[in-house]
Amino acid sequence: MSGQTMDYRSHEAPPGSKAERSAIENAQRATLNILEDFAAEKGELVRGQRATLNILEDFDAEKKRMAGAESAVLNILEDFASEKSQLEEFQHSFLNILDDFSQEKNQLEGTQRAVLNILEDFEKEKANVELVNAQLQVEITERKCAEEEIERTNRELRGVNIELETFSYSVSHDLRTPLRSIDGFSQALLEDYSDKLDATAQDHLQRVRRAAQRMAALIDDMLNLSRVTRCELHREKLDLSAMAKSIAAELQEAEPGRRVEFVIENGLTAVGDPQLLRAAMENLLRNSWKYTSGHPTARIEFGRSEEHEKHPFIVRDDGAGFDPRYAERLFGAFQRLHTAKEFPGTGVGLATVQRIVHRHGGEIWAEGAVEKGATFYFTL
Amino acid sequence: MDSKTILLVEDNADDEALAFRALMKNNIANQLIVARDGAEALDYLFGTGQFSGRDVNSGPQIVLLDLNLPKVSGLEVLRQLRANERTRLLPVVILTSSNEEQDRLHGYDLGANSYVRKPVDFNQFIESVRQLGLYWLILNEQPPARR
Repeated sequence: MSGQTMDYRSHEAPPGSKAERSAIENAQRATLNILEDFAAEKGELVRGQRATLNILEDFDAEKKRMAGAESAVLNILEDFASEKSQLEEFQHSFLNILDDFSQEKNQLEGTQRAVLNILEDFEKEKANVELVNAQLQVEITERKCAEEEIERTNRELRGVNIELETFSYSVSHDLRTPLRSIDGFSQALLEDYSDKLDATAQDHLQRVRRAAQRMAALIDDMLNLSRVTRCELHREKLDLSAMAKSIAAELQEAEPGRRVEFVIENGLTAVGDPQLLRAAMENLLRNSWKYTSGHPTARIEFGRSEEHEKHPFIVRDDGAGFDPRYAERLFGAFQRLHTAKEFPGTGVGLATVQRIVHRHGGEIWAEGAVEKGATFYFTL
Repeated sequence: MDSKTILLVEDNADDEALAFRALMKNNIANQLIVARDGAEALDYLFGTGQFSGRDVNSGPQIVLLDLNLPKVSGLEVLRQLRANERTRLLPVVILTSSNEEQDRLHGYDLGANSYVRKPVDFNQFIESVRQLGLYWLILNEQPPARR
């Protein structure tokens, strides 16, 4: 712009004159100047525009960068959020661990207290035990004394047993010898002097003989009874059914004329001394055999009772039986409930059986009625 | 029966008499020699003491031996019999009152041929003697004599 400022208001020129031509030239020049300025302005505007465009470009780039940065920040925020929640989880677990830890700690304290209590109790117990020990010592000494006492008694008993053995031996040997003489020479008298002896005399001698023989039987039975008590018990598994059958066979063989039905249950076993139990079975079965001899036929049973709670063995016969009022005397040694005329015997058989049963830790009892047979029950 | 000798070793006079009676009743009319104690029995069997000079090869054919004897017991007599070569096989029947298991065991252990219990009943005794005689003197074959 030129430095000239045109004031149009003050200088209005007349038309067609030189002043008008100079005003138009001036206006032309001013317009040209304005156009120059305008061009310059335009150029500057263009420049400005370019600069703005550049700025816009930069701004766009910045914007993109910022958008990138924004995503990155968002990612970071996301990661951060997940890290945060992980951290919170850790925090939770950590808190839980702390909880558990505090529980454990409480438990430990509880255990510690318990242990301390136990230690206290232990101290008390220890004191108790020492007391008890002292008492036990006293007991042990007492017991030792008692044991020595028992040993002494045992020695005495052994001594007594030996005496008994010797006694039994001499009884069996020495008592029988004079009995033999009594019987033998009575017989000799009867035979050699029969013509000089009347019926009464002979009867006397017969009685002498019978008495001697009875005494011999008594001695034998006494010996058997004492042997049962003395001898050692050997325990074996035994087939009682087979034993009963064998004894039944022997009885039948000895007196084939008798009609006796034996009913023997199979498979009955027991644990005990074979000799003693056989003796007991023989006694019982022989008794049944003997006390049924008055009847033309008889039935003898051997079995095991199912009804009775102790499941005893039973020996039953349907013979002469016995009066139950006298049942206590049944097992007494030398006690008899029948006369010798009715049934021979020394009365020691059942006493022997009872002793054998008792030695095996068992019981024996009997039921019976006159002429209705007898039943013997025993456990082992 | 030819001259078969029986040696009865028995200390009890009654038992001796009864045994003799029983043998007679059974017509075992053999020569019966009685020794009244164990020592006498051994003397007879070995030909020593009061019996020295006896022909020991002439018997006895059977020894009836009681166990309870004075001086030397029946079992000791048996032991010595069995220990001697000449009398080792001589049949010995133990004839005694005792039926104690110990005695039977020892008797058989020491080599007795038989063990018979003397019954009290004399009739039974006669029967026992009869059976013994029948068996040992007639049925049983003697061991051959050692020369």
